[in-house]
Amino acid sequence: MKAAVLLLSMLLAAGVARAQDYLNCQFAPGWEQSGPKRQYAADNLFDYKDGAAEGYLIYGFARMQGIDCKSGGDTLTIDVSEMNDADSAYGIFASNRDPSLPIAAIGMGGQVQPQSASFAKGKFYVEMVVIAARPDSDRSAVLKSFATGIEQRLEGRVTAPETLQWFPKENLTSARLVPESVLGLRLLKRGYVATYKQGQAFIVLESSPEFAAEVLKKLREHFDGAATAQVGDEAFQAKAQYLGGICIFRKGRTLAGYANLPDSQQAVSLALQLAARIP
Amino acid sequence: MNSKTSRRDFLFAGLSAGLTLPVMGAGSSMGLWPPSGESAAKPAGSPVKLDFKTLGRTGLKVTTLGFGCMITSDPSVIERAVDIGINYFDTARGYQHGNNERMVGAALGARRKQVILSTKSGAENKEGLLKDLETSLRELNTDYVDIWYLHERGASTDIRDDMIEAQQLAKKQGKIRFPGVSTHGGQQQLLPWLAQKGVFDVVLTAYNFSMDPGMEQAIASAAKAGMGVVAMKVMAGGFRDLKPGDPLYKKLRQDGAMLAALKWVINKPNIATTIPSMTDMDQLDENLRAMAHPFSAGEEKLLAAHLEKIGPFYCRMCGQCDGDCQKGLPVADVLRFLTYADGYRQFALGREKFLGLTQEQVAVRCGDCAECTVQCPHGVQVQSRMARAQELFA
Repeated sequence: MKAAVLLLSMLLAAGVARAQDYLNCQFAPGWEQSGPKRQYAADNLFDYKDGAAEGYLIYGFARMQGIDCKSGGDTLTIDVSEMNDADSAYGIFASNRDPSLPIAAIGMGGQVQPQSASFAKGKFYVEMVVIAARPDSDRSAVLKSFATGIEQRLEGRVTAPETLQWFPKENLTSARLVPESVLGLRLLKRGYVATYKQGQAFIVLESSPEFAAEVLKKLREHFDGAATAQVGDEAFQAKAQYLGGICIFRKGRTLAGYANLPDSQQAVSLALQLAARIP
Repeated sequence: MNSKTSRRDFLFAGLSAGLTLPVMGAGSSMGLWPPSGESAAKPAGSPVKLDFKTLGRTGLKVTTLGFGCMITSDPSVIERAVDIGINYFDTARGYQHGNNERMVGAALGARRKQVILSTKSGAENKEGLLKDLETSLRELNTDYVDIWYLHERGASTDIRDDMIEAQQLAKKQGKIRFPGVSTHGGQQQLLPWLAQKGVFDVVLTAYNFSMDPGMEQAIASAAKAGMGVVAMKVMAGGFRDLKPGDPLYKKLRQDGAMLAALKWVINKPNIATTIPSMTDMDQLDENLRAMAHPFSAGEEKLLAAHLEKIGPFYCRMCGQCDGDCQKGLPVADVLRFLTYADGYRQFALGREKFLGLTQEQVAVRCGDCAECTVQCPHGVQVQSRMARAQELFA
């Protein structure tokens, strides 16, 4: 029994040590730690991020560890947030990324810019910012070294949420997790939204087909003039004041559809394509 | 109001003041918004009443319900708020790394000049601030913002002369109309300083019914100096963040309490407008009700009951437990420090105050006492709350 406890303790200690490994300043030559490491939980993140803390909390923030590194006159701030799950980590990354820039292959996805970088891997969302002595200098090489070093030491998934693959790729401009009120509708609590050159698609996974059917029924009641459409297991189409041409369908426990299109028939056509991609 | 005033007294004093004032306050006016045809979002019942107040010396007429865009993900909610007549929208350069400004700009579109738009920069020097402003203007698709805040300033030392120069230069160039400061902490010292400084037209401050009574005086000092005061974090210390499943959820959430909390702030005469976060049409409709109706006696009871619910967590500073702790702990003080962290989310302030106790007091662990000698007449769970403070701060 004692041996088992000892072994468990050693394993836990090793796990903690490995987890701490990613927070150091040795991923590029010439950088040294400045000040102590910092640590925040959901109940005091506000102290560090102030009002912006809410933007983390809605994505299931659990805790954050951070460190500052210095090299010459440059300061690199690294913050590693642990979210409740990998989907949420990818969600906050996608919410904060620059949509005009491509997603780099760092963990589940990342971006490296001249003075900042971010990526998500597993439950972790990593942000890095360089305050450079020369404001216009390009520190992307250093940021890439740190991103690679940290990414290698973090455990977890390296593929983006599978649900994102269900969205058709043609004319897609961005896709992300919306943590509450998809399309501004409270009934659609949490889901993925893809923005296209014209219109938006969404996918919400409910707990069961029965519950999804209940939500669809309530949604239909909300839209004046909603008419039955033939998409998935059941569907409706409507022309809404704020969401334009809209079609919402249910396939099993999945609610999905298109909105913000010129007319609802166009939404139905696109919804049929989306339904065919949903397993 | 002296520092011994209880939170209940504070609440009731606020209510009484509200009831003796006209609902709209001096200089305010109302408008009506006819319901739209879209049932996905249409408000129930009668047309929405819009209540306006003047934002200090800016002279801007703002709806008492504004719109905090920080966590809004869908532009349709903002579009509908504009249609209804909400005319104050707030964002910041830092929200979602700039994506929030882009979304707000797209949502407002050609109607940007119909509304009062504010944004913020957290940059720490003149050059950084002005660079941020250029980016904000580009992302918001506008050539000026109405109010430009120095973001997240908690003390006068956070505001340097070069930052004020940046604001004045931007104003001279026509890129901003009014300079302001946003603050979540240290307001009781900062607001009077801002008032005395005289170079800021607007202050955006955290303010809600559960806060320290001294806040009312701090806000009054700013208003008296002609500053427009905008309130954020109006939903009682951010308890909106609690989700079902959180152990505190059932204790701290109560139907109608959030709306009452919003009304409580809206009806404060020195608050011109509020910026609750809104993510969906339903939330917008709920909050519109706060603007249309006065803070009622029923809501007085509701907030009082809400205070009862948070009673086990929050000390009312009545002083009745003074000297009761066998280990000599100043119980009310320690609970107040914990409130800084748990209620107002000012962890650093709470910890700083806690570590300011004597070494002997800091070393005490309430979990070591078999029985607590302090019995709070208001039901605060003293031993467990003190233990939490020690765990959090020590």
